[in-house]
Amino acid sequence: MSNGGRLLAIALAGATVALVVIGTLWPNKAAAAFSSGEQFSTSAGTPEAAVRSLGEQIRANAYQRAYDSLANKGEFSEQQFHRDLTSGWPDLRTYATLSDFQVQPLHASDSEADVRLKMQWSTVVGPSPSSRDLHLVNNGGRWQVQWPITKEPVVPPQVIPVNYLRWDVINRSSADDWGAQDVEGPHVRIVDMHPVQRAEGLVLLGELLNEDVIPAYVSVTATLLSKDQKPIDTEGSFDNISHQLLPKQVTPFLIRFPNVTLSQVGSVRMQPFSQLISASADPVIEIQNEKLNPAPDASVTGQLTNQSGQIANVAHVLGTFYDQQGQVVWVGDQYVDHALLPGVPVAFNIHIPEDLARKVSSQRTVVATYSFGGAQ
Amino acid sequence: MQKSEAHLSRRPIPLSFILMAVLLVHLPLLVMKLPLKSYDTNQHIFFASHYLQHWFDPWNTKWYAGFSQTTYPPLPQQWIAVLSHITGLEYGYMAVQLVAILLLAVGVYRFSLLWVSPRAASFAALASVFLGSESFLVYSAGQLGTTSAAPIYLNALPFLFEWIRFGRWRAFIKASVLFAAAAAAHHATLIFGSFFFALPVVALAIMEREEGDESERSSTAALIARTVAIVVVVTAAIVVVLLPFWIALIHYPVTQEPIPHASRANYILSPFWGLNYFIVPYGAVILAFPFIFWRGAAVHRLRPLLVGFWLAFLVGLGGTTPVSQLVLRRAGEVITMERFSYWATLLALPFIGVLVTELIDRFKTPAIATICTLAALTCGLAVAWSTIHPPDAQEFDTKPVADWLDRDGHDHYRYITLGFGNKIARLAMQTDAGSVDGEWNSARQLPELTAHGAGTLTSSKFFGKNGIDALRAMLEHADHYGLKWVFVRDHYYDPLLAFAGWRPVDNLNDHTIIVWSKDGVPPATPLNAPQIPPHWQGLLWGLLPFGCSILAILVLLIPERRPLESRIAFPSPAEEEYVPGRLAS
Repeated sequence: MSNGGRLLAIALAGATVALVVIGTLWPNKAAAAFSSGEQFSTSAGTPEAAVRSLGEQIRANAYQRAYDSLANKGEFSEQQFHRDLTSGWPDLRTYATLSDFQVQPLHASDSEADVRLKMQWSTVVGPSPSSRDLHLVNNGGRWQVQWPITKEPVVPPQVIPVNYLRWDVINRSSADDWGAQDVEGPHVRIVDMHPVQRAEGLVLLGELLNEDVIPAYVSVTATLLSKDQKPIDTEGSFDNISHQLLPKQVTPFLIRFPNVTLSQVGSVRMQPFSQLISASADPVIEIQNEKLNPAPDASVTGQLTNQSGQIANVAHVLGTFYDQQGQVVWVGDQYVDHALLPGVPVAFNIHIPEDLARKVSSQRTVVATYSFGGAQ
Repeated sequence: MQKSEAHLSRRPIPLSFILMAVLLVHLPLLVMKLPLKSYDTNQHIFFASHYLQHWFDPWNTKWYAGFSQTTYPPLPQQWIAVLSHITGLEYGYMAVQLVAILLLAVGVYRFSLLWVSPRAASFAALASVFLGSESFLVYSAGQLGTTSAAPIYLNALPFLFEWIRFGRWRAFIKASVLFAAAAAAHHATLIFGSFFFALPVVALAIMEREEGDESERSSTAALIARTVAIVVVVTAAIVVVLLPFWIALIHYPVTQEPIPHASRANYILSPFWGLNYFIVPYGAVILAFPFIFWRGAAVHRLRPLLVGFWLAFLVGLGGTTPVSQLVLRRAGEVITMERFSYWATLLALPFIGVLVTELIDRFKTPAIATICTLAALTCGLAVAWSTIHPPDAQEFDTKPVADWLDRDGHDHYRYITLGFGNKIARLAMQTDAGSVDGEWNSARQLPELTAHGAGTLTSSKFFGKNGIDALRAMLEHADHYGLKWVFVRDHYYDPLLAFAGWRPVDNLNDHTIIVWSKDGVPPATPLNAPQIPPHWQGLLWGLLPFGCSILAILVLLIPERRPLESRIAFPSPAEEEYVPGRLAS
């Protein structure tokens, strides 16, 4: 082979190897997103690096490697560690993936450090943030996380008497489509409606009352009309409402109109919808220790306690916030990402926008639940 | 007598034998309909089913509340539609795929003749039968467009060489028509193939302008002029043949958020995807890499081919190197990388042909046994991969869903599925109802789908936050699209549906599929989309691409005065510089 040919072969082969090395040491975003977490430096030279490495492993579902890196892994099994992150009972966290995380140093000395790991889980109903304050120890120059394991609550064997209201609906025949009931829908009424201009667009807030003596499936649709009565946009309340209303129950609703400003709107056409449904008052969820926290970080916090015998796998807490005149100023919500076991309290925290927090003088909270297997 | 036998053993393998090998290996697999398990096969059949019913109307209302099929070159699907009158859609697909594999063997032989001896070219063609990347694309990826365009393209390249090198008008006509037909089968093959395949051929023609008889020599200026001429003519032909496609692309470019695809992964950091997109497609070709680089660099006339292979190889490595991102930029976020590996293996085949020739000449029977084993393992792994790692592991019948949709006026509303994988194309073929979901991402225009960087709604959870955001956005606007039905085969989605006000109303397939409904949704109305192609575009779409393929068949029937081997073959410096036996030195 000529020198030129030899040089070309070596150059191409060398360039290939070099490009592979570059692509592996500094993977682009698309490539990193598919990696299984092995490539991320297991460097634990600093407390932040150790926590970051742990976060990457959790994000990559590499729980075994994450567990192996812990300083206190002798105190619990890998399975317990896994369940601590993804729940022991089927709930939102069970099928969630860690979409992002941040590391925030709190305190450090030569031998110990505290670091906060803020995790953003992606669940089927949307993002679910959580946070863990981690203690780290320096073992011979290598920082290791002491994972603050949360032991699963153990529900004692017990008998829970069930005494709740239940409404059944008999349809014309099993072949009838759902909705073809030939009966008048339950009487529902919008008892309050209030537009609020937010940075992301216009928001309609309000409350809907089931005036009837039968349970109702409800939803609210709103059409914004311009000053010359032309429709601007139509949106629904989606999950910012409790769709099942028992007799005399009230639900808040919130409807978002992105990219619409209040000045464009001449009037609003509200279309509440109601449908007779079978329903039961079970499971009964009690709200305890409810507290309105002022700004900064204004929120309403409390605990949900399942007083029934069946597990509520997913709970959705809707908070309605009123000013001194009793007018709705905001509707907030939170999905609780842990299952509600009988008698075991689970905390919730509904954030209130900073600029509205000053106006809030009272609030009301309702809870909707979902149990797996509830579908037909 | 011995001399005669030796002479016989050094003859090229007859093309008829190679085509029989294609039939032997691939016909049973296609008769078994193995490609139906692949990612995209059902989508191609779905497109074909639309052409079957609406040949001159490319507006398909069954996906995305309506989309234009002019966003994807139609040739293979139109042929399926035509053949389906005799074979049905599924066997129509298999027949078109089989023809593509047969054409590939012919194309590889003809393309390899440009670079290597007829004997090595015949080995290259035989190797194409067992090529891992071909089996991977056919049986796992289901990329009919790519696997049917590449053979047409390869068959066109020798004519391109003949035209540029010798100025033969017959070759000019055949090359032009074949290039246009290849574009009608798959646009990306032609666009990128120009760089990886055509430029090396042009470079070869220029490098060898002084070779041969006095009458065959051409000046550099003449070669460049011929190159420019055919580029202009082919470009014009492709513009005309695919005019509705270009109009759609210019007016509605693919600006949606990129959708993650594992072919863009780093194959070292993600070993599984390395196995999927590197080991399986390349197979035993990996063992030939040192030879390809060494011989390609050593032999002057093989260098353009080596560079073409090298570039396709690097891009095909996806995120393993930064090359694909640097070279393709935005296009790299839309197209997938496995096709580049496919092209790289096609470009490697002439080298493989030389390697096989030299190994057999030197080691005789042991070499034959080893090569046959490696070929069988490569092909076997790629075929088996569709079963080992099935793209669609879910085996269930979608007919009950279609029947449910088509009765009692349910099809007055639109639907989506959750957890159906790539069965949505099959369901779309079976029902009259329309969906707001679909598998042909580049054609979708609904903002709920394009804004979030996720693929099909039915597989939302596999796209993480982006997928759920897209699903939420679509469910929020159910009223806008008349979306009333959600068929759920994965209970992961149940909480979202329940809290968003959807309710289970029926079940199918022994409670494995739950029908969820939302009340108060108005019936679906046709989308008055600006993307709807006017009638004249439908007419062009129905006539020109298919007509182009018919024309290609006709011009290929124009007889040549001499066989291809004598028209384009030159004494290969490879054979001059590398006598058998030097391989191991």
